[in-house]
Amino acid sequence: MISHYILFSVALFSIGAYGVLARRNLLIVLMSLELMLNGVNVALVAFGLHASPGIGAAGLQGSALQGATTGTAAAQVFVLMVMAVAAAEVAVGLAVVISVFRTRQTVDTNDLQSMSG
Amino acid sequence: MSNVVFFLASGLALVSSVAMVTRRNPVYSAVWLLVTFLCVAVLFLNLSAPFLAAIHVLVYTGAILVLFLFVIMLLNLKDSELGEEYPLSTRLGVAGMSAVLFVGLSFPLMTDPSLDVAIRAQPPEYGSVEQVGLLLFQTYGLQFELVSVLIIVAMFGSVVLAKKKVWA
Repeated sequence: MISHYILFSVALFSIGAYGVLARRNLLIVLMSLELMLNGVNVALVAFGLHASPGIGAAGLQGSALQGATTGTAAAQVFVLMVMAVAAAEVAVGLAVVISVFRTRQTVDTNDLQSMSG
Repeated sequence: MSNVVFFLASGLALVSSVAMVTRRNPVYSAVWLLVTFLCVAVLFLNLSAPFLAAIHVLVYTGAILVLFLFVIMLLNLKDSELGEEYPLSTRLGVAGMSAVLFVGLSFPLMTDPSLDVAIRAQPPEYGSVEQVGLLLFQTYGLQFELVSVLIIVAMFGSVVLAKKKVWA
């Protein structure tokens, strides 16, 4: 069932949102962000599979539309892009955590309020 | 069969992700995150995306999680440096908000009859290395190059940010 996968991805996203909002350790906030991105990835792959007509689709096999039926794996290319952006994001995020810890000796988000008026 | 795999993998992923967001020590969180990532890779296999499952294991558990563990060990946080947690009432409130988010997102999806269909059988080449690779390098070549530029910039950015004295 496609809807089961969507339900799972929404659940993963919500758990990640809880981690981002309710935790004060910067490292765990970043990990929860990864969790949310994972949930989105599962939803993307499931929707891509849902959009693909599949093997039993009448009138498409062997026709000019064959490429179109297999082309819906484009969702998986999209997920690859999301993974690359997630990797870039986590590299920069962890570098920020390191430099914050170096200047403040803390990874607690509530101690980082020097920009709040 | 694939249903059994789905319920096992998704159940384990949800349990381990809840365990991940509730651990105080980031090392334990990272280990639970590892379990979650592996379960998500199993789900990708179930969704006829074998190449994506392999890349997921390589990138997430091989690169991102190792980077997390590396930074955790580099910072070498003592128990007092882990920071405080919000009081239980705040955390329960945020948990309630997340539950509302879950219901609000899933209700329209669950009531949509077009989604309540079984997964169609796909031709064996669906999601294979060949097919995804052709899409990536032919149809989406420009996007691929843009992502590689993004990764280069992120690489330089993280080196500059994590350096000891930037302007020395």
